[in-house]
Amino acid sequence: MIALVALALASSFWLLLDLISVYTRNTTTVGVAFFEDRFSEFRKTVAPQTVLSYLSDNPVNDPSNQSEFNLTQYTLAPAIVKPSLDEPLVVVNYHSATPDQAALRARRLVPLRDFGKGVLLCRNDAR
Amino acid sequence: MIFVFIALVWLTGFSIARFLFPAPAGWSLHSVFLFSLGTGLGIGIASCLYFLSLVLFGPSPLILAGFGAVVAAIAILRGMSAKSRGIALEWAAGPAAPGYLTVLLLLAVVFAVTMFVVHSLENPHGEWDAWSIWNLKARFLFRGGERWKNVLSTQIPNSHPDYPLLLPSAVAMCWTLARGESIGAPIAVAFLFTLGACGLLISSVGILRGKTQALVAGIVLLATSSFIQLGALQYADVPMSFYILATLALLCLQDRFPGDLRFSIAAGLTAGFAPWTKNEGWLFLAAVLLARLIAILRFDRRVVLATQFLRFAAAALPSVALTAFFKLHFAPPNDLFGQKASDLAAHAAVFGRWVITLEGFVQMLFLMGGFLLPMVLILGLYWFLVRFHVEERERTSLATVLVALGLMLAGEFAIFVVFPPDIIAQLKLSLARVYMQLWPAALLAFFLAANPPQLLSTPAHAAAKTKTGAKSLKPKRRTAPAKPAHPSVRLN
Repeated sequence: MIALVALALASSFWLLLDLISVYTRNTTTVGVAFFEDRFSEFRKTVAPQTVLSYLSDNPVNDPSNQSEFNLTQYTLAPAIVKPSLDEPLVVVNYHSATPDQAALRARRLVPLRDFGKGVLLCRNDAR
Repeated sequence: MIFVFIALVWLTGFSIARFLFPAPAGWSLHSVFLFSLGTGLGIGIASCLYFLSLVLFGPSPLILAGFGAVVAAIAILRGMSAKSRGIALEWAAGPAAPGYLTVLLLLAVVFAVTMFVVHSLENPHGEWDAWSIWNLKARFLFRGGERWKNVLSTQIPNSHPDYPLLLPSAVAMCWTLARGESIGAPIAVAFLFTLGACGLLISSVGILRGKTQALVAGIVLLATSSFIQLGALQYADVPMSFYILATLALLCLQDRFPGDLRFSIAAGLTAGFAPWTKNEGWLFLAAVLLARLIAILRFDRRVVLATQFLRFAAAALPSVALTAFFKLHFAPPNDLFGQKASDLAAHAAVFGRWVITLEGFVQMLFLMGGFLLPMVLILGLYWFLVRFHVEERERTSLATVLVALGLMLAGEFAIFVVFPPDIIAQLKLSLARVYMQLWPAALLAFFLAANPPQLLSTPAHAAAKTKTGAKSLKPKRRTAPAKPAHPSVRLN
């Protein structure tokens, strides 16, 4: 019984120390708060019933592509965000403050408003 | 304000639990049991009410407030005015628990709560499932207004629109009543479920097997870092584990107090909330009904079958009917179950999928929990030292829990083999969480069967008779187990 209880408590304490040390390192992560901050102005401009397409400069197979898409959807809810380019409006999630205009033109996307921090609202002329 | 509504939700659940099992005033094991049970009852009922109100009257905070106030007032009035009657849920007779165990339990509580708080500070919105599914749905329900049905849109990838709405509805209800979104709501709901499951395990093992077993079981669950982490990261697996544990613990208590059929009613209530929490809840509902049937037919008087089943079914019916209504009327088909039958048959015919799944299940036994050493080995050693001893009156209970957990595992195994196109990714993604859903109930089964450590050479009933004498018993080396004075089953 002692061994069982000791192992359980030691494991819990060990992981707690790990967790606290990670937390106190205070590293910035690309999490919900980061996305909420970047998209805060954008969110004010979209109506609840809006359906948006989504474009990012992440490589398609990059694991962060999926999580950033989900975070964008979470931030912009109840607007619906689709991972395709078949809607008239497109939310652009770029990682540079100055978006690549040539890449947008190549997809026939016309910037309507630049919200800064790589977030843009574009009109989709390709539809 | 959010926390006032969360407290009201909990109080409603506690009052319903107290109405069913009135406790004498004051701090007791009985009240710990009710506090813990009240968590799941309150959140489950609040969630169902919110969804019903949304479907019937639309997103009106006033109607919801009125609806909620009536239910809460009736529950609180009836619960608080209920006079203590019938059975009192007390520590099972047994050797006195060493004082240091209580201290260690408090230490485990401190570690678990600190871990929960640090995780919540670091990820206030939870992790992947929370912001991709549960809290996202809560936002759609709350922010969507008249367009709340967008929560079911198949256009949102990865949001699993067919998933049931217990957690999102409970969170959205608090936001609607408070007229504002606060991340405190999902965190508080997650906290209540996590600590509620621990409280429920401690109190039910305490009632069934005594204080020592209860404290050890509680320490093991509180120190299961993965369980606390899953709770803090706002995954639905911890609420699911709560309803699994609550149902099975209540059925065990039904066997301990066969004359009091309120345990079957309460078990029906908690079982009914399982399919409203996660799709696996349907599997659990089928598993627990079948397990109960097998256990009673094998070990109990068959006359109790109809009386218990009727009460269980009647109590489960409202929330099961609501979930069925949601599934049939609103939810799109499940992405896994929506596959072609020929694809599923092809999956099942691949021998490698069976091997990979079996390998995953066995490996996870040794990896789960986040312990420094595999807990399954330590529990194995514990069993070797104390052995199992199941009294005749506990055979039905233990059979119910073991068969239900076995059926759940078998069902999950079949789902892994047949459904996911990428089986390895699916195992990595969700097998640990499946194990955590079953972990509290598995601990209930283990400590229900295990001998108390101090009773290695003394039959339990003898020690119970001489409580003062039992205090002086010191843990001894394992000796030949004493013959119990009444019929019992040894499982070793």
